[in-house]
Amino acid sequence: MSRSVRYTSSPLLASKTPVWRSKFIVAVVALSFIGLACRAAYVQVLDNDFFQRQGEVRFVRTLELPANRGRILDRNGLILASSVPALSIWADPEDIVATHTQLHELAKLLDMPIAELKKKLEDEDKNFVWIKRLVDDAVAQKISKLGIKGIHQRMEYKRQYPEGETIAHVVGFTNIEDRGQEGIELAFNKELGGRAGSRRVIKDRLGRVVEDTREQVPPVDGKDLQLSIDSKMQFVAYQKLRDAVIANKAVAGSVVMLDAITGEVLAMANYPSYVPDKRQNMTGNQLRNRALTDTFEPGSVMKAFTVGLALETGRVKPETQIQTAPGRMQITGSTISDAHPHGLLTVQEVIQKSSNVGTVKMAMQMQPREMWEIFSQAGFGQKPQIAFPGVVSGRLRPYKTWRPIEQATMSYGYGLSVSLFQMARAYTVFGHDGQIIDTTLLKRDEPAVGVQVFSPKTALEVRKMLQMAAGPGGTGQKAQTLGYSVGGKSGTGYKQVGKSYGTDKDRKYRGWFVGMAPIDNPRVIVAVMIDEPRAGKYYGGDVAAPVFSELVQQALRMKSVQPDMSVKPQIVMHTVEESF
Amino acid sequence: MTRLNLVLLLAVLASALYLVRTQYESRRLYVELEKAITQNRKLEIENERLQIEKRAQATSLRVEKLAKDKLEMRSVTPAITQYVKQSDAAATRVIK
Repeated sequence: MSRSVRYTSSPLLASKTPVWRSKFIVAVVALSFIGLACRAAYVQVLDNDFFQRQGEVRFVRTLELPANRGRILDRNGLILASSVPALSIWADPEDIVATHTQLHELAKLLDMPIAELKKKLEDEDKNFVWIKRLVDDAVAQKISKLGIKGIHQRMEYKRQYPEGETIAHVVGFTNIEDRGQEGIELAFNKELGGRAGSRRVIKDRLGRVVEDTREQVPPVDGKDLQLSIDSKMQFVAYQKLRDAVIANKAVAGSVVMLDAITGEVLAMANYPSYVPDKRQNMTGNQLRNRALTDTFEPGSVMKAFTVGLALETGRVKPETQIQTAPGRMQITGSTISDAHPHGLLTVQEVIQKSSNVGTVKMAMQMQPREMWEIFSQAGFGQKPQIAFPGVVSGRLRPYKTWRPIEQATMSYGYGLSVSLFQMARAYTVFGHDGQIIDTTLLKRDEPAVGVQVFSPKTALEVRKMLQMAAGPGGTGQKAQTLGYSVGGKSGTGYKQVGKSYGTDKDRKYRGWFVGMAPIDNPRVIVAVMIDEPRAGKYYGGDVAAPVFSELVQQALRMKSVQPDMSVKPQIVMHTVEESF
Repeated sequence: MTRLNLVLLLAVLASALYLVRTQYESRRLYVELEKAITQNRKLEIENERLQIEKRAQATSLRVEKLAKDKLEMRSVTPAITQYVKQSDAAATRVIK
């Protein structure tokens, strides 16, 4: 220890240090304290946002408050579509701890090949992978019982359609995010959708919400939507249409039923259809709402408008006679002929027998402009004012480009195209005292607003002719129904195959019928179309009119309209004479 | 002076403890409220689900099938319907 130096005799202490050094140190220390104090004040008082936020991030959470999607109801308030919560399964691949058997069990529960499941769980870079969305409640419970770490569940909404395929085309469907993709779901997506809200809360260590912060945005639920459709009539329409399509070995068919007073769509059905809940293997063939999206040449159905115009302008009277023999005529080198030659026919009989020659003779007295105006007013070539995706306007060429032969063929419905819905709506002209009325898919109670096309007198005269067409000696006799007077026009068309209408062998047909009942004061207008019937019969009067008959029968009964024709009652009445 | 300070210290301590307790209580109650709200929502959902289920059980398709197969009923036609006139007074009564 000889080298040790005693403190008091340390040579370092002995050396004289200048006073400014100690003062300098004191000043530096003091300055750094002041600096720290300033910084502390700045961070805590002046610019505290950043740390405040960092603090909140650790215990404040934003919870999303999902909005309920509105329901779709029929005119009587029955549910056509509604959202219910369903669980979705997701995984955090980084976190997954599962044995081989557990994975196998999970795959089995999810009805998913094990390879696919493993592939989903492979990517360890991700920490969120959907395994399967919207599974059944029972399955979800079994999965949570498996207790695999890293597999989680999350609540989402699933849209349910209790009416299934009968009304699928009208209601449409939503995608997995509960957003409208088709039909009413798409057309009114905004109104149905609502707006999600949010709230900020403080959570404790166990994840329980313990306090609300004041920032809260309440969710706005989507509005319920009430359609004009009557689900009972819709069901009957779909059922009868399906039976007819199957019986006629047809490719497809459509039905439109309108209320002749309010313009509401009471039923609109198409076949083939689909079940909205099970949408695997769906094709456009099933998905299309044919009544609104498919157009065809309206054929004989147009004759009512040509004759209506002739009556309206005073060119003919219902009893005026027209020579249609020998059943064909020449217009600038082309031949127009009747399916069955007739002789001298009155205007009434021209409609009743559906004579092309008679109609053309009337049409050739008119200006193309007049015909075009009436056709346009009746809604042909115009987009129907109806809120629905994919509505087509059909085709009606401007009258300036019409050649005489085209004017002639258009008078009996060739050379223009319409959808079945347009056809039904056009016939409101005859059903609503000469007015074409605006149609709607939403419920409305007051009578529709109409635009006068024909005078009420003309409408009545044409209605009488339509009744004859559906009566004895007419082309649509099968449209008759027990107890109610009906009127309507059938139509049959060749489908265009490429550029021609096909040869005799491979000709494809389309049969339809448009009519109304009861004839004196129409309440419903029904249009039926059967596409490519292949069971032998193909005339509209044979394939579509029977469907019309059944639908009118049911619809008027459901509307409690009293029969306007006498029916032989089959009720046995036991009347007991009162005794004295 | 010392005594007053002591009293104030005790008061502060008591108030602080009371605050802690109140905060705890409020959070506990809030958790309960939250639970009740969740329960409410669950029940609402269940109600909605059951309504749909009810509707699905009462679709026209099912009703008709049961009526035809089980109850051996047939469709109505005007021939087997007795129509009665309803006076205006009766009609308004029904609507009421």
